[in-house]
Order: sequence, then C-alpha cells, then structure tokens
Amino acid sequence: MSNHVTVVMIEDDEGHARLIEKNIRRAGVLNDILPFTDGTSAVSFLFGPDGTGAVNAGRALLILLDLNLPDMTGVEILARIKQNEHLRRCPVVVLTTTDDKTEVQRCYELGANVYVTKPVNYENFANAIRQLGLFFLVIQVPEAS
Amino acid sequence: MILMLGFALLVAISLLSVLLIKQAQDDARRVTRSLQIMNAVSQIQILTRRAESGQRGYLLTSDPRYIYNYDVSRAAVGPAFASLMQLVEAEPQRVAQVTALRPLAEQKMAELDETLALQRAGRIEEALAIVKGNVGEEIQRQLVDGLVRIKREEDQALQSYLASSRASGYWLMLVNAAGVPAVLGLAALAIGLARHSTTGLRTAQRELESVNLGLEQRVAERTTDLKEANDEIQGFAYIVSHDLRSPLVNIMGFTSELDALRGDIFTRLAALRESAGAPESPADLAMKADFEEALGFIKASTNKMDRLIHAILTLSREGRKSFAVEEVDMGTLVEQIAASMAHQLMARDARITIGVLPRLTSDRLALEQIFTNLIDNAVKYMKDGVAGRIEISAATTPGFVTFSVADNGRGIDEKDRGRVFELFRRSGRQDRPGEGIGLAHVRALVRRMGGVISLESRLGEGSTFKVTLPLRLPTLDRMQER
Repeated sequence: MSNHVTVVMIEDDEGHARLIEKNIRRAGVLNDILPFTDGTSAVSFLFGPDGTGAVNAGRALLILLDLNLPDMTGVEILARIKQNEHLRRCPVVVLTTTDDKTEVQRCYELGANVYVTKPVNYENFANAIRQLGLFFLVIQVPEAS
Repeated sequence: MILMLGFALLVAISLLSVLLIKQAQDDARRVTRSLQIMNAVSQIQILTRRAESGQRGYLLTSDPRYIYNYDVSRAAVGPAFASLMQLVEAEPQRVAQVTALRPLAEQKMAELDETLALQRAGRIEEALAIVKGNVGEEIQRQLVDGLVRIKREEDQALQSYLASSRASGYWLMLVNAAGVPAVLGLAALAIGLARHSTTGLRTAQRELESVNLGLEQRVAERTTDLKEANDEIQGFAYIVSHDLRSPLVNIMGFTSELDALRGDIFTRLAALRESAGAPESPADLAMKADFEEALGFIKASTNKMDRLIHAILTLSREGRKSFAVEEVDMGTLVEQIAASMAHQLMARDARITIGVLPRLTSDRLALEQIFTNLIDNAVKYMKDGVAGRIEISAATTPGFVTFSVADNGRGIDEKDRGRVFELFRRSGRQDRPGEGIGLAHVRALVRRMGGVISLESRLGEGSTFKVTLPLRLPTLDRMQER
C-alpha cells in the first residue's frame, strides 16, 4: 500500500483501537491512521462540512469500520460511503464482533470489501490484525475522485 | 319431575278406568241376575196359579184336559224353585226367603192334590168343602205375598244396580274425558320439556364454544407473550455476551501487551545491569516470579471468562435457531457418532452397543448435538480400571420415543442429579476438561423439541440418561397455531 494511503479507523472502543493500531504497525504498515471513536465525527470527516464527500477528493482512504457504534450503526455509514460518488471506490474493511450470517450478507450486499470477525482470543485477534496489516501492504487503493 | 307426576296421573286414570269398567261389568251381571230372579219368581207365581186354575177347572168340569194343565204346572214348580235357589244362592237373605216359601208351595200343592184325589174318588162334596175352607187360598196368599216381596225387593236392588251402573258409566266417561286432555297435556308437556332441554343444551354448547374460543385466544396470547419474553431473554443473552466480549478483548489484549512489556523490561534491566557491572539480585528473580504469577492468573481468568461467554453465546444462538425438520434414521446417526469417537473409545477400552433405533422426523443437527454430548459424557466419565460399556436403546410409545444412554461409569451423586443440567455446573471429581455446558445445552435442545430428559444414576455404578422426544417434531407453523 503506497504511503499516501490514509487508514480511517472507526472504532468506539479505544482499547480495541489501540490494539488494532499496534498490531497493524507490527505488520510493518507505516501509513497514517486516523482513529474515530464515534459515528458522527467519522461521518463529518469523511463527507466534509457540506456532506458531499468532495473534501476527500484526490485522497486515498482505506476505511476500517466497526458495526457497533454508540451513536449510529456501522451499516448506516457503510451504506452512505458506498452510495457517495467520491468515496464509493474506497475499500471498506468491516471489523466487528458480530458473526451473524445475515449481518455479514447485508454488509457485502451494501458493498463492503472485506468482513472480518474480531476473534475473542487475543492471540487470534492480534494475528488477524497483523494479517490484515499484511493485506494492507499489498492492496492497491484508488484515490477518491 | 312434572313429567313423572304426569305419568303417575295417566297410570291412575288408566287404573281407574279399569276399575270402573269392572264395576260396570259387575253391575250388569247383578242387573241380569235380578231380572232372572224376578223372572223365576214370576214363573213360580204363574205355575202355582196355573196349577190352581187347572184344579178349579177339573173340580168344575171333571174334564181331564184340566188335569193335564194341572199336572204340567205341578211338575214344573219343583224345578222352578230349584233354579230360583240357584240364582239366589249368593244372597243368604234370599235363600232364607225362598226356603221359607218352598213349604208353602208344597202345602198348596198338597192341598190341590188332596182335592183332586177326592174328586177322582167321587167325593166331590168333600173336595169343594176343602176349597171353600179357604185354607188353600190362605196358603196361596202367603206364598204370593212372599214371592211379591222378593220381586219388590229385587226390583229395588235392580234399581240401585242400574243407578250404580249408570254412575259407573258416567264416571268412566268422566275419567276418560279427563284422560284425553291429560294425555294431550302430558304430550305437550313432554314436547315442551324436550324442546326446552334441547334449547338449553344448544345454548350451553354455544357458550362452551365461545368459552373455548376465548380460551384458545388466551392461550395464543399467553404463548405469544411467552415467546416474546423468551426472545427477549435470548436477545438479552446475546447482547450481554457480545458486549462482555469487547472489554474482555481489551483485558486480554493489554495483558498480552503487558506480558510483552515485561519481557522488554527484564531484558533492558539485564542489559543495564551488565553495563553497570552489577550482579543479578534475587529480588529481580522474585519480581519476575510475581509478574508471572499475576499475569498467569489474569490470563487464566480471562480465558475462562472467554469460554463462559462463548458458551452463553452458543446457547443463546442455539435457542434462536429454527429447526429444519427432516427424516432422520437414528440408528445411522448414532453409529456415525460412535464411529467419530472410535479413538477415545479405544483409548479407554470402551465399547458401545447400539440397539434398534427408530426413524424420527426431526432436526438432524439438534439430534446429533444431543447424542454427541451424552455419548461424549459417557466416554469422558468412565470409571478408571473398568472396561467401559455404553448401551444405547429406544422404546417407542404412541407419538414419542424414549432413548436411553446407559453407561457403567462413575455415576452421579444423588444431590447433583438436578445440578448437572444447569449451566456451568459439574459433578464429581473435576479431572476432565469442560465448562459444564454440555448437559445444559442438551436439556435446552430437548425442551425446545418438545421432549424431556431425565437421569437415573448410582454413584460408582453408572448413569442412564433418558431422552423422550416426539417421533415427529412439530413444525414452527404448527407450534404457532397451537
């Protein structure tokens, strides 16, 4: 993943966010990581003050999204991203505790690129995040138009 | 009750009719007899008169034709008395009267005979003297008086019999006239009562139907309430376990981070010591051990908590899963389970005997989980040093089948027999891995399938789990219907 790609991490649990960041770093990912702990601030960053998403035009974003947020559901944010003309090409990685089949299906239907369940066991969790980091190293992320 | 009275009335009317008819018959018989008596009395009167007139004629004319008349009448008097006697024999008073009259008649006849005999002998003057002596006339008068009295009395009796007969007839008519409306009334009453009771029955039936309907509706409402409550609990368990997981991930994660940090610290400490030329102190080692112990406890606890949360999650997920009903051959299913455990069985020198098991229309996955858990428990809790025996059999009752999973293992203490089915509860020596989930899961599944599970056990001798399941699992639609 080229250095100009910014990772947008939307995760309400700061502990999780910290652990995710640490493990991604361990995989050798050096890109900027922008953490958001609630939906509202993440949405205002992604879509800008005018709500069109034009503010991010020309930037390459990779979005890490938790579905359980205090103020809105991750599914709602996912739907908005995938319907936005500027952001819809950004890869969205759903990283959540829910492994409910219908939830997984719904996210892919809405355009999620990857759906990862957070393993409860920490070793597995760390491992999964590191592998996700390795994955980030190889994928190509287009710039928002 | 009224009907019974009516019937009693009818019976009374019938009896009365019969009595009255009998009375009328008796009256008629008596009337006939009275007439016959009167007739007989008249006959005797006539006969004596004819005999007398025959005697007078002969005395006057000496014509033998009169003798003939006399003889005929004279001969008939005796039988006439006899027949009269027969007629009156039931009445002592009449018998006495007739008996008293008979000698008079005989005296009269004797007197007549005497005059005639004198006449025939040519002693006509003597004969006429007897006649003129009025002795015969006096006897005749007494005889006729007696006969007339009988006739008069008989006539009176006849009148009373006739009156009685008329009264009987009148009463009979009256009773019958009363009987007709009574029968009609009774019939009307019976019809009315029948109709009333039919209406009553119909009303009761209608009420019952509406009550039933209400009851079904109430049951449906309760079922819905229960279902909602159950769903809520399931949802609650799911949310709780999910939300408990999040902080747990942090605890586990940062514990690991601490662990890594500890390594770094001690490595750095060692490096610093080395550069400072200081020797390793025992305090360092003690600190290392304390670190290790603390982290070890945290990790063990978080791991345990993680497994428990996982168990709750699994149970709640199972509780929400709907059954997929299909034809399941239990024999094959249990054989497959046994085959999958061949390794453990061999390691413990155990053998499974599978009896004839029926086919069920049920959820294959649930059945697999139930029997895997039960057989797994049987294998897990074998008695040390004894060749394990596990027997699986089935007994079919209408609509249901009871499976038995019997082992010769450790057995379960009586006080633990209810507990083993509870979540996170275990019994006996805790020397086998497990969280105390299996049987709780099994019981939840069996209950959801509309069955029951029970346990018979003797500590140190073995346990038998009995699972009763419906042969045909009700589909969700039918369950909601009920």
